[in-house]
Amino acid sequence: MSSTQNAVLPEEQVAAAGTDPVDRWYRVVWSSKKARVGVVVVAIYVLVALLAPVIAPYGPTDGSFTPLTGPSAQHLLGTNVAGVDVFSQVIYGSRVSLLVGLLGGLLATAIALLIGMVSGYAEGTVVDDVLTFLTNTALVIPVLPLIITLVAYSDTRGIPLIVGVIAFTSWAGAARSKRAQIITLRNRDFVTAAKFSGDGTFRIIFSEILPNMTSLVAAAFVGAATGAIGAEAGLAVLGLGSSDSVSWGTILYQADAAGAISQGLFVWVFVPGLVLAILITSMAFINFGIDLLSNPHLRED
Amino acid sequence: MALLDVRDLSIRYEPKQRAAVDAVSHLSFSIDDGEFVGLIGESGSGKTTVGMAVLRLLERPGRISGGSITFDGTDIAHLSQDELRKYRWREISTVFQSSMNSLNPVTRVEAQFADVIQCHTALRGREVTERIRTLFDMVLIDPKFMTAFPHELSGGMRQRINLALALAIGPRFVVLDEPTTGLDVVVQHSILENVRRLQAELGFAVLFISHDLGTVLDLSDRTMVMYAGKIVEEQATRQLLREPLHPYTKGLLGSYGDPRAETVRITYVPGRPPDLAHRPGGCAFAARCPERIDGCTELEPAETEIGDGLVACHVAAIQRGAADNTTGAEVGPAIRTFAGPQFVKSAAESAEAVRGRPLVTVDNVSKTYVRRQGLRAVRTEAVTGASFVLRRGGVTALVGQSGSGKSTIARMITGVDAPTSGQITFHGSDGDQVVARMRGRRLRSYRGSVQMVFQDPYSALNPTKTLGATLARPLINFQHLHGTQLRDRVIDLLETVALSPGGRFVNRYPHELSGGQRQRVVIARALAVEPELIVADEPISSLDVSIRAEVLELFDKLVHERSVGILYITHDLLSARMLCDEVVVLNEGKVVEQGPSLDVIRSPQDDYTRLLLDAIPNPFAATRD
Repeated sequence: MSSTQNAVLPEEQVAAAGTDPVDRWYRVVWSSKKARVGVVVVAIYVLVALLAPVIAPYGPTDGSFTPLTGPSAQHLLGTNVAGVDVFSQVIYGSRVSLLVGLLGGLLATAIALLIGMVSGYAEGTVVDDVLTFLTNTALVIPVLPLIITLVAYSDTRGIPLIVGVIAFTSWAGAARSKRAQIITLRNRDFVTAAKFSGDGTFRIIFSEILPNMTSLVAAAFVGAATGAIGAEAGLAVLGLGSSDSVSWGTILYQADAAGAISQGLFVWVFVPGLVLAILITSMAFINFGIDLLSNPHLRED
Repeated sequence: MALLDVRDLSIRYEPKQRAAVDAVSHLSFSIDDGEFVGLIGESGSGKTTVGMAVLRLLERPGRISGGSITFDGTDIAHLSQDELRKYRWREISTVFQSSMNSLNPVTRVEAQFADVIQCHTALRGREVTERIRTLFDMVLIDPKFMTAFPHELSGGMRQRINLALALAIGPRFVVLDEPTTGLDVVVQHSILENVRRLQAELGFAVLFISHDLGTVLDLSDRTMVMYAGKIVEEQATRQLLREPLHPYTKGLLGSYGDPRAETVRITYVPGRPPDLAHRPGGCAFAARCPERIDGCTELEPAETEIGDGLVACHVAAIQRGAADNTTGAEVGPAIRTFAGPQFVKSAAESAEAVRGRPLVTVDNVSKTYVRRQGLRAVRTEAVTGASFVLRRGGVTALVGQSGSGKSTIARMITGVDAPTSGQITFHGSDGDQVVARMRGRRLRSYRGSVQMVFQDPYSALNPTKTLGATLARPLINFQHLHGTQLRDRVIDLLETVALSPGGRFVNRYPHELSGGQRQRVVIARALAVEPELIVADEPISSLDVSIRAEVLELFDKLVHERSVGILYITHDLLSARMLCDEVVVLNEGKVVEQGPSLDVIRSPQDDYTRLLLDAIPNPFAATRD
C-alpha cells in the first residue's frame, strides 16, 4: 500500500520543552515595573500583617494610655479617645483589610465564575436568560444602601458577615465579563472535541475552558479583592465595621468622631488613609502585570 | 541593473522576554523589472518577514540587523520613514496577507482609492473617478460597486479591489503576500489568473510569497525556496520543475500529484523545521533530509551556482561537480524525486472500492437556516435534498467549495444540528437509529460511535492539557478505564498514530508538537472510543504541504486496519483521490455528482466538478510537453 521509511526522527526535534507555566507567568508579571512595585508593596503589607504582634508596640485594644495625645516617641501616631495606641491599631488593621480582601475577592470571584461561565456557555438558552436576568438585577440595585441596610440590621457584625455582604453585592460586573469571555471560547474546536469525548457540561466549562482563562480570572480576583478592601473601609468609616476587630476604616471612624482634624491630630487621620490608598494602588499595579498575561500585545517587546 | 537587489539581508527578532531569533540570515536575491518571482516556504520559514522587510514595514521586536535592500539604485533599508513615503505605493505597493481586513470598514471603497490617487498624483475630481473606473475594469469588477462599503462585497471581490488598489498609481514593484489564502479554490484560481494577466499587460515586477507551491510554480518566472530563514534554492521555474536541486524542494514538489494519473505518489517530509533560536550546526534541513551525508550536520552549505540556478546543499553540489567531495562520503547519483517516505495510490486500489454494508444513510436531507432581523425572517437554504450512503470501512469524500453545505451535512450527521426535512439514519451495531431524534444520554452514547477530526489541529487540542490528559477523557467516559489500564491504553493510542515511544509523549503539551503531530493526536483521540464513523473536516488543509501526505497515509492505514468508515470533507480533489473510495460533489447545497472517486475525477459529468478539477494548480502540466 505505502512505503514508510521512518528514518528521520521527528520526536527528537521537539524543541526544548515548554517551561513551567508558573515560572513563565512570574517572568511576564515581573517584567512590568508597575507590577513589580505592586508585588513588593503588597508583600510588605502581608509581612506586616503576619508579624503584627512583633511590630506593634501595644495591643490594638489596650486602652491604658493617656487619651488623645499627639505623636510622641512612645506613641508614634498618638492615642485615641479610649487611650489606645493608634500606631498599633494601624498595624493590626492591616490584618482585617487583607483578610477581607482575600476572602471577599475569592468569594465574589467564585460567584461570578459560576454564574458567568454557566450563563455564557448556555448562551441563548433559558438558563442563560435566567442567569443574565439575575446578573442584570444585581447590577442595577444600588449597592451602597443595600450593604448599609444588610449590615445595619445584622445582630453580629463579624468579619464573615462583612465578607459575605461585600461578595454578595459585587459579583455581578465580573459575572458579565466572564460570560462575554466564555462566549468567545466555547466555539473552539477543543470544546466540541470534549463533547465528542463524552464530557459533561460542568466538566467542559470548569475543566476544559476555565484553565484557558486563568489569567483573566486572576485579574478579576485582584480587582474584586481591591474592591472588597475599599468596601470594608467604607463600611467601617460609616461605623458599620466589624465590631470585634480594628480596621483602618474603624480608625478613621474614631478619628472623625473625636474631631481629630479640629484638634490638630492630623496623623491620626492621614496615616490610616494613606496606608489604605497605597495598598489599593499597589493592587491596581499588580493588575497591570496580570493584564500582560491575558493580552500579549501589551507586553513591552 | 536589477530593480530590487537584496544583499546579505539579516533580520533579527529581539523580544525582551525570550531569546533573540535570527528569522532571516544572510539572504541575497534580486528581481528585475517586470519579473515575476515566487518565494515559497513553510510556515515559520521567514518568507513573510522578508516581504515586510522589503516594504520596510517590519515592526518591533523585529529589525533589519544587516545587509542592504537596494531599490532602483537607492538603499531603502536605512531610509527614514519620511524618505520612504515617496517610494510607497508609487514605486512599491503590496497586497497584504490579511487582505480581507485591510480595507477600512467605515469608508466607501471609492474614497479609499481617491485617498491614494490624490495623495500621489495630480489627478482631481472627475479624473480620479475615471481612474478608479479603469482600475475596476482591470480587475473585472463592475464599477457600480465603487460606492459600496467593504462589508457589502464578497471576499473574492475585496481581494480584487485590494489588487486594484495596489496598482492604482502604476507601481513598478508589487509584493503579494499570500494574496489568496483563506479564499475558495475557484475564486483563488480566477484572482491569480487576473494577477498574471495584469502583470503581463502592465509589466510591473512581483514578489509572490506563498506556502502554496502549486500556485507559485504556476505563475512565477523564477522561484526561490526558503527554509529556516535562508534561500536554499533559486532557479527558473521551468528548470526547477524539471530538475529540483535541493532535497527540500524535491520534498515540496513531491507533495503534489495529478489526481487523474494512473498511479499517484505523493511524498512527505517527516519532522519539523528547526527552532531558529537554537539553530543547529551545519545545514538546517539535515535532520529531515534523506540524502544527507556526514558533512551536512557539521558544515553549513554555501550557495553554489549550478547551471543557471543557485542551491545551498552539499550533496547537490557534489553530485553536479560544483564542489569537491572532500569527505569521500557516498552521495549516490542525482535524483529528481524526494527519497523520503511516500504515499502511493494506484488506479487498481482506488477501483476495488470496498462495498461494505451501509453505515449512515442520508435520505433527501434539507437544512434551512432562518435568521430573524426584526420582523423579517431571512431563510438560507444550506442543503437541499441531499442523498447519499456512507459505508462501513469505506471512505467517502464530500467535495465542494466553501458555502456549499459540506460542514452543515457534517453537523447533521454528528447530531449537532437537525435536518429541516429528510432523515439521517445510523445503522449502528445496536440497530438503526434516526440521528435527529437522539437526545441527552442517547446522543452521548452515539458519540461513542461517531467521532470528529477537526480542520485546525491548533485549536482542536486544549492548550492547557497534556496529551495524556486529553486522550484519557474519552477512555474514562466511554470505556470506564482507570489507573495503569488507562495509561497503557493512552500510550497504545499514541503509538497507533506513530507517536512513539508513547511514554515520551504522554506528558507533553500541544505547543511542543508540530502541526502534523498535533493532527495525529486529534486522530488518536477520535480513535480512542473505537468509533464506527469518523467525520474528518478538512483535516489536512491547515497543515504545511510537506507533511500533508503523512496524515493522509495515517488515515489510509486506519481504514484498512480497523475498517472504520470515514466521511472526508474537503475542497481538494487530490487528497480525495488519495484516500477515498467514493466522492460526493456538492454545489450550493445540492449533490451534483457522486460515484467511485476515480470515475468522478477522471470523467466528471458535471460542469462544477470540472471547474473544481481545473482549479487544482498543476505546475507539472508545463513540463510534460
